[in-house]
Amino acid sequence: MLGKYLKETRTTTLFILMVGAFVVMSVFLPGKFLTLSNFQSMSSQIPEFGLLAIAIMLAMLTGGIDLSVISIANLAGVGAALILTGSLFPQLGGGYGEILVIIVAILFALVISLLCGLVNGFLIAYIEAPAILATLGTMSIFSGIAIVITRGYGITGFPESFLFIGNGTIFSIPMPLIIFIFCVLIMALILNKTSFGFNLYMLGSNPIASRFSGINNRGILVRTYMLSGFYAGLASIIMISRVNSIRPGYGSAYLLQAILVCVLGGVDPSGGYGNISGLVIGIIMLQILQSGFNILAFSPFSKNVIWGLMLILVMVLNFYSSSFSKRPKKLKIQ
Amino acid sequence: MMTNNKNIQIQKIFSQSEVYLLLIIIIYSVFVAFLNPSFLSLGNLFNLSKSSASMGILAIGVFVVLLSGGIDISFTAIAISGEYIAVNVLLASGVDNIFFAFLISCLVGVSLGAINGLLVSYFKIPTLIATLGTLNIFHGLLLTVVGTKAINSAQLPDCFKAFGATNVFTLTGSDGVRYGLSVFTVMFIVIALLTWLILKYTMLGRGIYAIGGDVEAAERAGLNVSRIKFFVYCYAGILAGIAGIIHVSLIRYSNPTYLVGTELSVIAPVVLGGTRITGGVGTVIGTILGVAMITLLNNSLILIGLSSFWQEFFTGLIVAISVSLSSYQSRKSMGI
Amino acid sequence: MAEELLKIQNVSKSYAGVRALDNVNMSIGKGEVHCLVGENGSGKSTLIKIIAGVVKPDEGEIIINGKTFRNLRPIDSINEGIQVIYQDLSLFPNLSVAENISLNQLIVEKRRLINWKEIKDIAKKELSNINREINLSERVENLSIANKQLVAICRALIQNAKLIIMDEPTTAITKREIDYLLSVILDLKKRGISTLFVSHKLSEVLQIAERVTVLRDGKKIGDYSADELDYDTLSFYMSGKEVVSSPFSYEEKHGRKPMLEVKNLSKKGDFKDISFKLKPGEIIGVIGPLGSGRTELALSLFGLNKPDSGEIYINGQLVRMDSPQKAISLGLSYLPEDRLHQGLFLRQSVQNNLVVTILKKLLNKFKLLDHNKKYKYAKEWVNRLSINVPSLEAAAQALSGGNQQRLVIAKWLATDPKIFILDSPTVGIDIASKNNIHNIIKQLAREGMGIIMISDEAPEIFRNCNRIMVMIDGSIVRELNTVDITEDELFDMLSSN
Repeated sequence: MLGKYLKETRTTTLFILMVGAFVVMSVFLPGKFLTLSNFQSMSSQIPEFGLLAIAIMLAMLTGGIDLSVISIANLAGVGAALILTGSLFPQLGGGYGEILVIIVAILFALVISLLCGLVNGFLIAYIEAPAILATLGTMSIFSGIAIVITRGYGITGFPESFLFIGNGTIFSIPMPLIIFIFCVLIMALILNKTSFGFNLYMLGSNPIASRFSGINNRGILVRTYMLSGFYAGLASIIMISRVNSIRPGYGSAYLLQAILVCVLGGVDPSGGYGNISGLVIGIIMLQILQSGFNILAFSPFSKNVIWGLMLILVMVLNFYSSSFSKRPKKLKIQ
Repeated sequence: MMTNNKNIQIQKIFSQSEVYLLLIIIIYSVFVAFLNPSFLSLGNLFNLSKSSASMGILAIGVFVVLLSGGIDISFTAIAISGEYIAVNVLLASGVDNIFFAFLISCLVGVSLGAINGLLVSYFKIPTLIATLGTLNIFHGLLLTVVGTKAINSAQLPDCFKAFGATNVFTLTGSDGVRYGLSVFTVMFIVIALLTWLILKYTMLGRGIYAIGGDVEAAERAGLNVSRIKFFVYCYAGILAGIAGIIHVSLIRYSNPTYLVGTELSVIAPVVLGGTRITGGVGTVIGTILGVAMITLLNNSLILIGLSSFWQEFFTGLIVAISVSLSSYQSRKSMGI
Repeated sequence: MAEELLKIQNVSKSYAGVRALDNVNMSIGKGEVHCLVGENGSGKSTLIKIIAGVVKPDEGEIIINGKTFRNLRPIDSINEGIQVIYQDLSLFPNLSVAENISLNQLIVEKRRLINWKEIKDIAKKELSNINREINLSERVENLSIANKQLVAICRALIQNAKLIIMDEPTTAITKREIDYLLSVILDLKKRGISTLFVSHKLSEVLQIAERVTVLRDGKKIGDYSADELDYDTLSFYMSGKEVVSSPFSYEEKHGRKPMLEVKNLSKKGDFKDISFKLKPGEIIGVIGPLGSGRTELALSLFGLNKPDSGEIYINGQLVRMDSPQKAISLGLSYLPEDRLHQGLFLRQSVQNNLVVTILKKLLNKFKLLDHNKKYKYAKEWVNRLSINVPSLEAAAQALSGGNQQRLVIAKWLATDPKIFILDSPTVGIDIASKNNIHNIIKQLAREGMGIIMISDEAPEIFRNCNRIMVMIDGSIVRELNTVDITEDELFDMLSSN
């Protein structure tokens, strides 16, 4: 009964937990949590791992996983940085001005991320490699390329107007948040209202039946991983603009957080289930906790402990909810 | 008929993919030796086997986990926890004994492994997610509770340094340089052999293959699936504990932020060695060959004119290629 | 009757108030080949589990070898020589034949160490005991299903089996393999080992068994000697309903031009040189055992199995069937053989299952899904085929077999197909639903659809098709009109092949 309740009211429960976390933080951190600057810093951090979480969610919906999203973000960031600092296509800056450089850099980053997604999609859809291993391999390939290009050093010093993407505000609303909301709405539309989204869910719940129903499985998979890469690319633009630099390996802590947010938001790692609203609530909740811990000056390691514990806890709860709602059909014969 | 029998014999020792891997290793070694003749010297080979021992032991742990149908990415955190805690306990207690260090490290390893085992066998959490969680919990706890301070060579208890310099035997080359076969290499070989014996000649080992092949059939046959899985993660934990001590004795420096993040370089040789990620298929020999190949590659990049920055790229490339090849093969054999 | 090996007395079992078994009696003699038949949900599997000691009966007792058990545990059942071979065989695909045969026994003996010579010796001996040969070091995943069954039988024999219970053993093997299995069973009979077949299929039951026990709704209907039963009486006993099936008569009112023509279609290892024509309003039955290439042929027609050579014409146009998408766009539909894995998205809603094939029709002018339209379409189809669903949002796994199959049929009918290929459309479905599905198929043909129906049940083919193609080993060996023969002649023809 408890399990059934947990399952059906998952999003509601999560929402209540989120509000609870908000209240607790507001009460126990008076004057620190409920401030404009805290909200601005929260809303500029959400988009980075939020977009990466969406990227991972897409792969999870197909029953796979994308461990390479952060490497994709790194490589795309390096690509953009090379153009922004004039190492690549220096002639752009000369006659045409900063804006063109920025536009080309962004497009370049997005093209790189789409290509990386294409590689993943090809390995998983056409070679039929298991997603864990395929993306584990490409994770190293992509970040390896980034390391080779930068020789392990960071690239810094981007044009002033580029930094607006990660640091600017419109009516006191941080730019990253605006971009994020836009991306979430687009993804909600894609998943709930397009035939691609519908087929993605069907493929995730039974790939054989979807093939027999005339769904182009390979096409859907390739597009999914490209879309996943694209969102990683968007995250990288916000990321490098916010910190005005890129260094290979940056953001590696986000992998845990992004997967945590996915399972917290009710995405089933075996595919077919999960929606964007659950994910967004999960993201906000994680960020509330994150800023609370920041105010309390928790070390990054102790935060990792908490994220890890939360991940395990959610999975244990999932275990109870599924073992209550499903009748065990296993046969035991001695 | 005779040749047929012979072929079967060879196939029994090496599977087809292992033969290919062995050939690639030989050809590549010859190629590198051509660029730098000292590469294939006994001294260098002894050195390589010494420096790759801890990776090899970790790889055997990962291999056993993959065989049972799971995956473990928390082993680096377990290894560094075992090592760093052991070093600290030795420093605090003043006991300067390598066996004591191994004991502590293995205890830490088996306890942390047991946590993984519990999450996977009892709570049935997908192994990737469970061990991603515990990777962060173990490592985070180590850094928060035990500390973040690195212990340098001067502070390090002597037993580690002595252990690191121990050779089983030494040879003197024609140029007067002495080469020794490190005790690390012997430990790796013993662990590989032990693992092979367990897998081949005990019911537990066959149980690991069986649950990797079909969990439900294993349950019906009366195997205690939860207990076997639990053992697998504990075993991987112990091996990580051993590897941790070997690692610190090799580099004579104990830094709690080391190792974590290098998971792929350990998973890569296992996958390369032909272990199927879905479980049930794979051999110790394949894993050893995989370790040899990756070690060879990592240590020859500079010889073939590439900087060490290429290491991560090549590791990834090897994983991607070997996974692609094995997926392609299994697709072909299924006739799709 | 010979000495009794197993006797079940007044056994009853309820699950949550539902009576799964009601006062059932049954006995099996030494060396007897017995059949337990009943539709899905008749209580067969509960009864097997009770015999295996996995499920405790609420009332009644089980007597094995003269010993009475009130509380039979799995280990007692095994010790008394009862071995159950489940439909999926429970083998380890990655382990060798020898290990699969011997391992279970060693587990029961609580061995800790493995002696490979012993494993091989045990396996070799047991295989030679039943006069069969399989390469002992071959991995089981590389064996044919018949050989896998053999491995499972050997494994049971090693554990000193006196009664082997086989759950649906013949659903996945060919006619020849069934004969092979029967010869093995006869060998066992000579050694005094009894066999209990559990099946819901009718035709095979009659040729195997000495005695048949029929269950319906948890009650025993009776024990019959196999020769006093025929298809109609047995299906009457099983369903409790007189099946009135009107034979299908084809009328050439939708034109004579073939809508589908296949010329010399071949695929290595699957089928060779297949040629036939399908006219509108026809139902062609393809009959042949599993492995005869019937399913592979259907997959090729639907773009899921690329043929090596040959031609496919749709309405006189040469086409290349390279994907299901292409096949669907040309007006083809395919009801797959394996409803649960290939036909349904079990955890998805009825609604989603229904519209998956017609998503394009549900998009508005912005290419976005119109959820109202989706609901309307789904509702319409659920009503049209009278699919019994709790709600359109219910998961497909909550439906009964018959309703699930109607759901899959509906999903295809929604695409408005011209040609419908149905592969084993009534496997695992109760007889009333079966009849209903047959009537739907016949009605579709009367409206002008061209239908190909694949089955290995001769009566199903005979009563629902106007033409029959007999497929053996990848070739069409006979082609005939149903009006030209009787059901018995078809039966004889099939068993002689």
